[in-house]
Amino acid sequence: MTQQHASYGAVHGPPTGEITRRSFMRRVLGVGVGLLSLEFLGGTLAFLWPNLTEGLGSQITLGSADDINNQAPEWQNGLPFVYNQANLFFVNVPAAKARVAENSGGQVTSDVSLPVPDPGADVDPDIAPEDRSVMALWRKCPHLGCQVPQLCDRSEWFECLCHGSKYTVIGEKRDGPAPRGMDRFEVLVENGVYIVDTRQVISGPPPTVMTFDKRTASDITEHCVG
Amino acid sequence: MSNGNGGNPVVRWVKESAAWRSLFRQPYPSTSRTRALAVMNNVFLHLHPVRVKRHAVRYTYTFCLGGISFFLFLVLTVTGLYLMFFYVPSISRAYQDIQAIEASVAFGSLVRNMHRWAAHLMVLTVFLHMIRVFYHGAYKPPREFNWVVGVLLLFFTLALSFTGYLLPWDQIAFWAITVGTQMATYAPLLSNESAFFMLGGIEVGQGTLLRFYVAHVIFFPLIAAIFMIVHFWRIRKDGGISGPV
Amino acid sequence: MTIEKRPNATADKNVPTQAPERAPIIAPGVGPKLPGPPGVPGTERFRLLAYVKQESMVRVDKRPDETVLTWPHLLRAEFLMAMLITALLVVTSVFITAPLEEMANPSVTPHVAKAPWYFLGLQELLSYFNPTVAGVLIIPVYLGGLLIIPYVDRTPYKAVRDRKMIWIFFLCIMVGGLIVTFIGSFFRGPGWNWVWPWDGLYFNL
Ligand code: HEM
Ligand code: FES
Repeated sequence: MTQQHASYGAVHGPPTGEITRRSFMRRVLGVGVGLLSLEFLGGTLAFLWPNLTEGLGSQITLGSADDINNQAPEWQNGLPFVYNQANLFFVNVPAAKARVAENSGGQVTSDVSLPVPDPGADVDPDIAPEDRSVMALWRKCPHLGCQVPQLCDRSEWFECLCHGSKYTVIGEKRDGPAPRGMDRFEVLVENGVYIVDTRQVISGPPPTVMTFDKRTASDITEHCVG
Repeated sequence: MSNGNGGNPVVRWVKESAAWRSLFRQPYPSTSRTRALAVMNNVFLHLHPVRVKRHAVRYTYTFCLGGISFFLFLVLTVTGLYLMFFYVPSISRAYQDIQAIEASVAFGSLVRNMHRWAAHLMVLTVFLHMIRVFYHGAYKPPREFNWVVGVLLLFFTLALSFTGYLLPWDQIAFWAITVGTQMATYAPLLSNESAFFMLGGIEVGQGTLLRFYVAHVIFFPLIAAIFMIVHFWRIRKDGGISGPV
Repeated sequence: MTIEKRPNATADKNVPTQAPERAPIIAPGVGPKLPGPPGVPGTERFRLLAYVKQESMVRVDKRPDETVLTWPHLLRAEFLMAMLITALLVVTSVFITAPLEEMANPSVTPHVAKAPWYFLGLQELLSYFNPTVAGVLIIPVYLGGLLIIPYVDRTPYKAVRDRKMIWIFFLCIMVGGLIVTFIGSFFRGPGWNWVWPWDGLYFNL
């Protein structure tokens, strides 16, 4: 290809459609530097990635059902166990369902009778969450992160003080601005000892999910919040 | 009184010494020529051109908002440096350190208050500066890119303020950061992973305090300073301050 | 060859500059021949005087402006402003103490949990919409909207009436932001319920 240059007259360039050695080298250099920057960025992210070995973010041993009943006698009657070190509610699901049924004035039913001292070990991830025997619900409200208080004794729901999001005892959202149900953690059982795996947060179910306690906010006459 | 030396022999001796004259290469700027030289030859002053448009020095043109933002940034750097001497970013110490700064460090309360109020004021002046720039249409060519730099500076200003907000480790700080970071997870691309990264853990805790501290005292100030340099450089390269509407 | 006026030198400020067409770098055949080094034939030199048209590296919309010296006029203004701000800051800091509540306690949620004030507009908006929708839209619209302003409004006009659309957009996000920030700051109490400021102020700086 020949270009007409203002002062030098005809200038010979590379044939059209081909790249010169120079532009090839330039591109190689550009791509190389780009790759290097990406690697640097990736390395930085990996380096700064939180490395948690204890507390929330690790595997936490709660103890056996007996241990929990000793610390919180109402657990066998369905009141979720507040485990402060990891900011979670450890729910005895059959007992909790029975408790809600008992206090809901007939709006909710359950065929379990209280107390349930040892709910067992149905914690297999293949079982639907609401059918498992225990659940570890994270107390951080999925709305804006306030700490969700213990079950409200008027509605038998978890009612967040901050903006009034409301959740059933198994963490399904029923009311308020939160985008989903309460987040939770996987529970493992080893020789009857409950271990909560907080390395990964499992997002709560979407607000449309209703497996248990299908009351709406207006079905309940008295709330603790709002 | 020529050259401001006065009749004082000591003053004259100082001003005629080799050391003084190596520092200041001309007498006190009192003529147009020396005033121009003073601006041109001084590394800090040559941020400015030697002459500026007449309307640019009117207070009511810029309301000095950009300048005030920059000045507040300097104030924050100095007061922040002072505070760093008495502050350890650990959840078992941070709160007590702030209490100690307030109670037992000489002028500690004053320095902390200045840092806090200057920070809030800076967020405000940066916003107002942006509104002033918009009003004058000063984002128009050739200043488009400087507007973009400005938006980034706005972001860094907010980031500085937000990361600093956690450091006193009191209830206000803890819950404001809990709520604020949770809001960030609603933005696209910023999911739970990014909150985990930001917080250095699953919830606000020791990891968060350390991360926010490092970001607050080094990372964001450095980045903001770099972008301010670009911002000021571009103002000159774009022909100085824009004209009136 | 004609020499143009400096672009924009006298033109109306609202008329965009026309890029001067490219001219030859060197006008051929200009100037007399000069002798080269003695005794070396063919080394005559030319003296060229050419007008080089080049777009300036600095994109300046230069108009004959009235200027003043930076020292003292600008520096005086800056100095006075710095002193004024310093004085204001010191006086404020002597009389108003920055808040410090009890030590952080993750298991005691306060009655009202609010973000720092500049995010309260966002928090207020999040209480209206499903957060995943609102959050997804608000932040990019706000920051992205600000970023693209200069690339959307391409006209050179600066008067308000000549750029109505962009003014409306800017006013919407500014005034809207101001209103929701005010509501979030002063009109929201426990449970994010509406509380008149005289019934209780839930606001921290
Ligand atoms: C840390 C924050 C900032 C600092 C320290 C800063 C500083 C300054 C200063 C000192 C000026 C000179 C004129 C004046 O004082 O008004 C200026 C001009 C300018 N700033 Fe900023 N600025 C900041 C943020 C912003 C933001 C948020 C924007 C817009 C989004 C912006 C856009 C501009 C533009 C376009 C100009 C040129 C204005 C003109 O020519 O009239 N800046 N800035
Ligand atoms: S944080 Fe729980 S409802 Fe907002």
